[in-house]
Amino acid sequence: MPESEPLLEMIGIVKEFPGVRALDGVDLVVRPGEVHCLLGQNGAGKSTLIKVLSGAHQPDEGTISWQGEPVRLNSPTAAMRLGVATIYQELDLVDGLSVAENVFLGHEQTTAGFIHRSEMNRRTQELLHRLGHGEISPRTELGRLPAAHKQIVSMARALSHEAKLIIMDEPSAALAHDEVGNLFRIIRDLRAAGVAVVYISHRLAEIREIGDRVTVLKDGRTVAVGLAAKDTPTPQIVSLMVGRDLANTFPERPAPAPDAAAVLDVRGLSLPGVFADISFSVRAGEIVGLAGLVGSGRSEILETIYGARRASAGQVLIDGKPVRRGSTPAAVAAGMGLAPEERKSQALLLHDSVAENILLAAMDDFATFGWLDRRKAARAAAEQVAALDLRPHDPEREVRTLSGGNQQKAVLARWLVQRRRLLLLDEPTRGVDVGARTELYALIRRLAEQGLGVLLVSSEVPEVLGLSDRVLVVREGRLVHEAAATELDEAQVLDLVMAPTDGADSAEPAGRPAA
Amino acid sequence: MTTTAPPADERTERRSDERVSDVGLLRRLLIRPELGAAIGVVVVFAFFAASSEVFRSPAGAANWLYPASTLGIMAIAVALLMIGGEFDLSAGVMTATVGLTVGLLSTELGWNLWAAMLGALVLALALGFVNGFLVVRTGLPSFIITLGMFLMLQGLNLGVTTAVTDTVLVDGIDDVPGYELANALLAGTVDIGGVQFRITILWWLVLTAVATWVLLRTRVGNWIFAVGGDARAARNVGVPAARTKIALFMTTAGAAWLVGTMSALRLTSVQANAGIGQELIFIVAAVIGGCLLTGGYGSAIGASLGALIFGMTSQGIVYLQWDANWFMFFLGAMLLLAVLANRLVRRYAEQSRK
Repeated sequence: MPESEPLLEMIGIVKEFPGVRALDGVDLVVRPGEVHCLLGQNGAGKSTLIKVLSGAHQPDEGTISWQGEPVRLNSPTAAMRLGVATIYQELDLVDGLSVAENVFLGHEQTTAGFIHRSEMNRRTQELLHRLGHGEISPRTELGRLPAAHKQIVSMARALSHEAKLIIMDEPSAALAHDEVGNLFRIIRDLRAAGVAVVYISHRLAEIREIGDRVTVLKDGRTVAVGLAAKDTPTPQIVSLMVGRDLANTFPERPAPAPDAAAVLDVRGLSLPGVFADISFSVRAGEIVGLAGLVGSGRSEILETIYGARRASAGQVLIDGKPVRRGSTPAAVAAGMGLAPEERKSQALLLHDSVAENILLAAMDDFATFGWLDRRKAARAAAEQVAALDLRPHDPEREVRTLSGGNQQKAVLARWLVQRRRLLLLDEPTRGVDVGARTELYALIRRLAEQGLGVLLVSSEVPEVLGLSDRVLVVREGRLVHEAAATELDEAQVLDLVMAPTDGADSAEPAGRPAA
Repeated sequence: MTTTAPPADERTERRSDERVSDVGLLRRLLIRPELGAAIGVVVVFAFFAASSEVFRSPAGAANWLYPASTLGIMAIAVALLMIGGEFDLSAGVMTATVGLTVGLLSTELGWNLWAAMLGALVLALALGFVNGFLVVRTGLPSFIITLGMFLMLQGLNLGVTTAVTDTVLVDGIDDVPGYELANALLAGTVDIGGVQFRITILWWLVLTAVATWVLLRTRVGNWIFAVGGDARAARNVGVPAARTKIALFMTTAGAAWLVGTMSALRLTSVQANAGIGQELIFIVAAVIGGCLLTGGYGSAIGASLGALIFGMTSQGIVYLQWDANWFMFFLGAMLLLAVLANRLVRRYAEQSRK
């Protein structure tokens, strides 16, 4: 690749959200006509960075230059006008409009406000043809298309803008294998035409195949710029992405107690189209981690155990007693507690106090014949605030003013004021600062030591490996591997969670199961 | 990098055309939002026409077309607003606000009728702007914002009218200079084959055509569907979502101005409590016509057909000498039937496509 004037230069980008510094000095330099891969774990800041680049977020600090000129991207329209088009994972498409109307939405072909429908249909057809999907009719209502076709439409829209830079956020996540091949052909065409692509993916194999250069983000910082995508050794990339001293971050594991009774037994649990025949158990005092890609079914397994989804087959037992299927109240009554992934929308009443949030599920315990013993309840809440070191030490604070880590503590505290048998944690450290994570890890371990079973779902492999006693790997709705956390390393897990065809780039894992 | 040669292009074009015809005329008709309303119009017309000779006569038709026309003009605007994902509960009472403003400015302050109408138009558009601006700026549901506007206008209508005239009525609009021409243009009658048709019917038909044209053939129409279908996505691709929504509220207010003026001219007087309850009728007509409460879907023709059902029913019941109390029952039944029919048909159409 010849050295050329950068198309885009982002230097020292900082973006803060209440309670978390999502970007802490990120650099990204993209040259015309290159496929620039952005790598990083979940929470590393990739999404925030592309939102800054596409004009959806305004950076707090840092400079952005476009073809050598400093620019401000203060709206999506401003970014589009420069020639930056973004294809988000959640596609920005409108179901009620036709394919062509979606492609040209916001920049319709018009004379005096009147749409040239046949012209738009014709050009859309051209674009779709160029994308290898001439069979999609521009006149079809978008809502009727399958997900993969919607993505093609989204790409047609990017092309219709004559974009110079196209951002693709995990474009292969929703695609079947042969469609990924088509996607790569499109990307090569774009590159040949001088269009730069910022490509985000978790799959190293894809980056090997399609990428030119790689920028690695970790914890909101750039840790490597302009690595060669083809020849940088996998261990080097992985260690850049992970690059954390695990021993210092995670609490020590106590000696295993193999004779402990199983708190949770899952037997042959199935949910059609999502996962099938899942069986495992969690013992008292044990932390079991569930590793898998987004869409592998890991979160759905958790939700099904908790009764938020109704399994089509199988059984969930707590302390050996079956729990009624598809009933959250039954799950709670049996002794489960869930800390969901979407903490703010699914778990917390943001405008209420810490104390009210903690006591939400336990009001019955503090009431006699419907009368709430407020003093007793307040004392219980204050005890939890102190025990979890939930800062500030003020049970009356509104929850929304707390940092992510302390909000998560409030969610955990809710289950601790009642006697629980099993905690289900879905992405417990999402949106939590690195420093605060260590504390949460210690807290989760302490809860396990008190005899709780913990089932943990996380997209961050180091977290699963560092915190869990035992790791279960889920791929495409199947349990494909089970091992003690100490027997696995990160490369093996990354390899296991990906499709078998992607294994070419990494070391042969020790115990690869037959899929 | 263009690898598409023109012949290949034409080939795909032709192929896609065949696909469209493959889908079938019937199914394409079935997925139109107006379908339920169109069937309703046929059924209601057949029912009343079979039972009443007056109903099917040209004079009878002129009679039931008038209420359909004024409701229809409002229903079109409300339908556009609903497709854009918003409601306006203040639209009904705003027609009275307009009529009272025209009446008070002309009869009490001695303005020429045209000047009074212009003053009322400015006021209506300002009210529409306030509705839209508050909804867009605060992100509160338009239901709440326009409910507040509705109650305020209701109070203002009564308060100002009684303070100025000591009655709950403004009258004598036909004595104001400029009345003849304004009335002829906006509320008069046209003789067609010996039958007097209200000119409002013509306005209604023209506005239905214009609104349909805007929705289906202009970029603004695209934007309306987009902001109602997914406002976030629309904003992200550069649609001026806030401006589109404000413009829709102002369009509704503009329609309220037209209908309020028409009614003031025809009756030559305005009751201070007029228009209350109408806002729901507008929404009913739009929903019968295929609009979804969630936005992003609907049609102006459908809303007009909904209004036509309303007009035929309200007069048909009179012709059959039924108790007028049954009218609301009938309208409610029509609403439920049309919504259920639309839903069933759309589901069928979607399934058979897969």
